[in-house]
Amino acid sequence: MVKKCIATSLNEALLFLKDGEVTIVSGGTDVMVQRRNVAGELPLHDKNVLYLKNVKELYYIKEDGDGLHIGAETSMSDIIADKRVPKILRECLEEIASVNIRNSATLAGNIANASPAGDSIVIDNLLDAKLKLSSVRGSRFVDAKDFVIGVRKTILEKDELIEEIVFPRRDYNHLYWKKVGSRKADSIAKLSFAAAYKLNKNKIEKMRIVFGSVSIKPAQNKSLEDEFIGLSVDELKAKIPYFVDSYRQVISPIDDQRSTKKYREIVAMNLLREFLENIK
Amino acid sequence: MEKIKFNLNGKDVSIEVDPSSRLIDVLRLNYGLTGTKEGCGEGSCGACVVLMDGRSVNSCLLPMANVINHKIVTIEEFSKSKAYECIKEAFSSLGGSQCGFCTPGMIIASYALLKKNPHPSEEEIREHLSGNLCRCTGYEAIVSAVILASKKGEGLW
Ligand code: FES
Ligand code: FES
Repeated sequence: MVKKCIATSLNEALLFLKDGEVTIVSGGTDVMVQRRNVAGELPLHDKNVLYLKNVKELYYIKEDGDGLHIGAETSMSDIIADKRVPKILRECLEEIASVNIRNSATLAGNIANASPAGDSIVIDNLLDAKLKLSSVRGSRFVDAKDFVIGVRKTILEKDELIEEIVFPRRDYNHLYWKKVGSRKADSIAKLSFAAAYKLNKNKIEKMRIVFGSVSIKPAQNKSLEDEFIGLSVDELKAKIPYFVDSYRQVISPIDDQRSTKKYREIVAMNLLREFLENIK
Repeated sequence: MEKIKFNLNGKDVSIEVDPSSRLIDVLRLNYGLTGTKEGCGEGSCGACVVLMDGRSVNSCLLPMANVINHKIVTIEEFSKSKAYECIKEAFSSLGGSQCGFCTPGMIIASYALLKKNPHPSEEEIREHLSGNLCRCTGYEAIVSAVILASKKGEGLW
C-alpha cells in the first residue's frame, strides 16, 4: 500500500522521507502528468507520496548577506512578481508553460525534475545558484550546475529534498538569454543560450556561458570561460572563430524527439557567435 | 483517505478523499459541478481552469492535498457575479464562444487577467490566455472580447 503524507512542517516532511523511495509533489504540474490515469481515476502512484504544498515555512523570498533565498514551495508566479529576483530569471520563468501552470508550479520542482528540456536550470547555472538539500541527516549546499547528472537523474539522495535555492550576489553588467522553441506557450525548449559578463574599462572581467537543452544537462566550460578574462573587446572579436570552434567541441548535442543533433549544433553556434559579435 | 477542508464557491467544505485525487474529478464527480471541463488532462488546454485564491489554475493538475485551506471558485459560482455578466456579454456579442467547451476556462482565465491587469494590451491578453486552447473561434474573437470587457467593465474586477 502506497503511503501518502500531507506534511505541514519541514520536519514532518523530512521524517517521512527518511524511509526512502518517495515521490515528492510540490505544485504537482509535472507529477500529475507523469502519473496520469484515465479521467475520474486516481493518479497512478507506485511509490509513497509526499505533498509539500502545505509546508508554509517553505514559502519565502528573502535577501541577506549571501544573496537571495527562494523557498522551495514559492510558486513561479510569486517569483516572477518579486522585483528583487534577477530580471533574467523572471523573464525565463515567464516563458515556462502558461500562467495557469505557473500559478501552481515551483522553481524547485522544475529543477528537481531534471528534464533535459528544463528551462530554468540554464539561468540557475548562469547565476551560480546553489541548492540547499536537506534531510534528517542535516543540510548541504550544492551548485545547481552539479545537481543534474542525467536524464531525470540528480544527485538528490532518497531521503533529501530541495529546501531552498540561493542566488548569490553577482556584479555582471551584461546578461543575455535566448530560447528556441516551437510554440510560445508550453513550448519546451529545443535549445537555449544564456551568457553573462562583466565588462570594465573595455576589458572582460568575468564570463559565463551556458547552453541549455543541447545535451542531457546544460553545457558549460569553466576553462573556456577563463580564457575570456582580460581580453579587450577587440581581442575578443578576433578570437570569435576560435571560441566557436572550442565550444563546438564541448557542447555534445543529442538527437531527441524535440530536435536533432545537427540542428542543435548549428543553432547553438549561431547564438554564440551572435552574442560575441554584439559585445561592445 | 484524508479529510480535506477547503472553501468551495464561498462555502467551507470538508470531504473524505484520497489526497492524490484531482480537483477536477472531485468538482465534477463529488460535487456535480460539471461546468469545469476536462480537455487534455495534462495542463495544456485550460478547459479545466478554476480560480484558486483568485488565480487561474489547472484543476486537472491539482491533487486535493494542494487545495487544503484554499479558496476554489468554479464557473458555477462565478457566473453569479457582475464581472461574469460583463465578460459573457462581450464573448457572446463578438463570437468568443462557439461549441463552448473551452469557454468556462477561458472566462475564468480572462477574469483572472482583468483582476490583475484591468487594461491589458492585446499582447498581454494573448500571453495570459496562451494556456487556454480553443478549437473553434481562432482566438481573434476571444481577444477582442477581452478588450471589450476591459473597456466596459471598469471597476468590476
Ligand atoms: S484539462 Fe486541464 S489543462 Fe486540459
Ligand atoms: S468555442 Fe469550441 S473550443 Fe473554444
